[in-house]
Amino acid sequence: MFASMLTRVRRLLQRRRVAREMDDELRFHVEMETRSNIERGVLPVEAHRLAIRDLGGFDQTKEAIRNVRATWVDSVWQDVRYAVRTLLRRRSVAVAAAGMLALGIGITTAMFTVVDALLLRPVPFREPDQLAFVYMGDEHGGHGAVAPAVLRAWRESAGFAGVEAAVPDTSLIEVDGTVVTQAIARVTPGLFDLLGGVRPIRGRLFDVSEVRAGVDDRVLLSEDVWRGLYQADPAIVGRSISIDGERLLVVGILPADFRFPSWNTVIWRAVDFEAPARSRPNVRPIVCVRFAPNVPRADALRIATDAARAADNTNAELRTIARPLAGVVLDPYYRRAMPLLAGGVVLVFLVLCANVSSLLLARMTTRQREFSMRSALGASRRRLIRQAFVESSVLGVLGVIGGLGIGWALVAFSRAFLPDTILLRTLNPLNIDLRALAVTSVSGSVATLAAGLLPAWLGTSVNMEQSLRVTDRGATETRTARAVMRTLLVGEIALACTLLVGATLLVRSFINLAHAERGLDADGVLMATMSLPASAFPYQSSRTTAARSIEEQIGGLAGVERVAWSYGLPPHAGAVSFGKWESDAPGTPAVDMIVDHYSVGPDFFGLFGVPLLRGRTFQWSDPRTEVVVGERLARALWPGLDPIGRSFSFQEQRFHVIGLAREIHFPSLDAALDRPQFYEPFGGVGNYAMMSVRCGGSCPNVALIRQRIVATYPAIHVEDVRALADVYFEQLAQPRAAAALGFAFAGIAMLAAAGGLFSLLSFAVSRRRREFGIRTALGASPVQIRQVVLRDGLVAALSGVAIGAVAAVLLTRTLASLEYRVAITDPVSWALVFGVLGSTTIAASWRPARQAMRVDPVTLLREE
Amino acid sequence: MPKTDYLQGALDLLILKTLALGPNHGWGIQQRIRQVSRETLSVSQGSLYPALHRLEAAGVLASEMTSSDNNRRARVYRLTAAGRRRLEAEAADWRQFSLAIRRLLQAEGS
Repeated sequence: MFASMLTRVRRLLQRRRVAREMDDELRFHVEMETRSNIERGVLPVEAHRLAIRDLGGFDQTKEAIRNVRATWVDSVWQDVRYAVRTLLRRRSVAVAAAGMLALGIGITTAMFTVVDALLLRPVPFREPDQLAFVYMGDEHGGHGAVAPAVLRAWRESAGFAGVEAAVPDTSLIEVDGTVVTQAIARVTPGLFDLLGGVRPIRGRLFDVSEVRAGVDDRVLLSEDVWRGLYQADPAIVGRSISIDGERLLVVGILPADFRFPSWNTVIWRAVDFEAPARSRPNVRPIVCVRFAPNVPRADALRIATDAARAADNTNAELRTIARPLAGVVLDPYYRRAMPLLAGGVVLVFLVLCANVSSLLLARMTTRQREFSMRSALGASRRRLIRQAFVESSVLGVLGVIGGLGIGWALVAFSRAFLPDTILLRTLNPLNIDLRALAVTSVSGSVATLAAGLLPAWLGTSVNMEQSLRVTDRGATETRTARAVMRTLLVGEIALACTLLVGATLLVRSFINLAHAERGLDADGVLMATMSLPASAFPYQSSRTTAARSIEEQIGGLAGVERVAWSYGLPPHAGAVSFGKWESDAPGTPAVDMIVDHYSVGPDFFGLFGVPLLRGRTFQWSDPRTEVVVGERLARALWPGLDPIGRSFSFQEQRFHVIGLAREIHFPSLDAALDRPQFYEPFGGVGNYAMMSVRCGGSCPNVALIRQRIVATYPAIHVEDVRALADVYFEQLAQPRAAAALGFAFAGIAMLAAAGGLFSLLSFAVSRRRREFGIRTALGASPVQIRQVVLRDGLVAALSGVAIGAVAAVLLTRTLASLEYRVAITDPVSWALVFGVLGSTTIAASWRPARQAMRVDPVTLLREE
Repeated sequence: MPKTDYLQGALDLLILKTLALGPNHGWGIQQRIRQVSRETLSVSQGSLYPALHRLEAAGVLASEMTSSDNNRRARVYRLTAAGRRRLEAEAADWRQFSLAIRRLLQAEGS
């Protein structure tokens, strides 16, 4: 069977040769016959004529042979060629249909690629199910990191096939005199083998024995850093670069797609955590293990628990907890937003399919005459359907090709232009892989079937007598086709309406979020968090000295106006206190809430631009029980009263209110992040300290701040330096991306639906010209004719909008987690949706309506 | 020259039997059938060539283009192994069929 199919395909490819051979064969016959006739004494001319006659006509025989040889491959090939010719004849329709299919397939592929990388795919390492992060904890959680002694104990544990460790951190790289911050990880050298499948694109990985021997100045760079900072200079491998003021030797370059242990790690430095620490004491790494294949998971964890308890007695009450590697870095917003956006893509895809389907159907119905003619000449219904379906399949193939291009372009575009923090919070590479290609082809087939089968079925249903009438009198659309096209259009408009409602809510949420009250002046403030290890700064006096000289260093930078220390940083990183807050106002019940409190100096309020509404700010002499409260806390504790001079108690401690500050807000989709606050006087720089910098005009580079601090005191570990505006921006970035995507989807769906409406009405008008001509002749005014067409469009649009609105209301619950201060009942959103849909409907119906108005009965008569 | 109508199965059988004697081209097959049957059976070319191609597509015959004596290209057919089996089966069928016809005719004559 397969072999004979191969033969057929081969013959198909060799059609030309086959045809020539057939000619040769028959010509040979004629020649032999002629010669034989001559030998029998017939005149040469006559002999040839006889031979041909005997052959029953040259061409008839060839045709008969061809019929014998024809297989389904031939006839499908015939259909394909016919389809291509037909499509070429109506190029604009073909381009529009293939373009819409390509768009649908393309955005589906791109969206799948993103969702796959963020949510679906397992981490891109060997046997990812066997990998896990392990740490010690109990039901309340635990530290992600473990002591070096525990790491050593686990290495010898039978439950794990491999144990490696890493400490993610931020580092300063110095290139040609400028410094930049990049995420670094100090890792055990065997980490890459543990994960498996990591191959450097230049140089080599770490040498385990070298590191064990005490060499700790080897680093690997990510391809991104190599290209971005070193212009992809191949000579960088084997050279030393400056990281955190140390000269470190680059041994290799890792591919950009490799990211571990954090999604943004781009530098790896080999260290031995078990070796006696030199520069940084008390580093506790996070531990990644590969489970031994033959030990049950529960046993492995029990063995590990025993080992950890024996190694470090602080673990006595804790047990070993494993956290799978997949889904490590995802924040909850993605979990909520991604499925919704993926659903949005599916809706857009459906709209586009429906659109192509009705476009093809409209075209098929104009070809009734062709189909009835071919049917009369003996084509079976099956053959006609196949023929029509082959036409859509050719479009489908074009759509898949175009879709791949569009998908690839979209992914490349997002990688190039979207901030990494939005797109790449995953250990997975973001690229179109085999899985995405599978999705492309499946969506392509679905699109082809959806868009092609229905028109093929309906378009070819030829009622001889009726179709003759249709072609003769050019009267109306066929009934089924008309109903189906109307249904498809209503469906399109309904989907577009649902998408539009969703997108409007997302956009309104984003706008509300962006314009929400912040309560402080966020621009021009930098904030640094750092730890001052007790070993280097054992006393309050040494920390205060350090703080003062850092203050001088930073204060001397260009653009810096003032510097202040605090414990806790606005807008949401204060010390969190939860419990019962008791007011001194008589009759007020204790309030249970979560409150941020900040320890701040006198400069704090001025630096952050938080106005004091009543009372006074701190003086250095104030005792710790004198506090300034924010508005929300004041309202909760003393509703309607002046808080100044009042007191409240929290956990057995009494606080006296000396001032009332404006509330600092942290607008976020996660409402729990926006907490009430109060302030207490700053007691001096501790081991964990925060510094805020107010700059006038332009702020210094965050890397520069970091560098100045480290240069002044190398023992200080700078955890983070960032702009206050960025903290707000991060809360906005994801909703903005979601709103933009939602808006784009709704836009595509709207345009498609409008195009569908336009083509449907134009088509209907062209089929009903005769009717309009008669109406005009009977005295209908052009305006009345226009009314007929506009009403036609409006009816379809209104039914679609009604269905879509109901669907939107039903679906609103899924969207609720992405909404900020806007509800499905929001009148502005609905007004917008109806306004957009209404004007789109009228815009799409206008031209067909005008065409209908211009039908001139006289011209019509002459045409007939 | 009397022309005899026959079933398609008979045409296949004639072709197969003729080719069992050796590879041949279309014209040769036609001549051969005419000679062997002493001019009783004549295959029209209009049905011979489609039949040849059909049998080839069915895998019973194989063919190749050859250059013949006067530099004309001819297609020469030969039996395949499947063709031999088919010939035996069809010949057996035919013998049975003609025996049945003969018996029927004899019964009528007596």
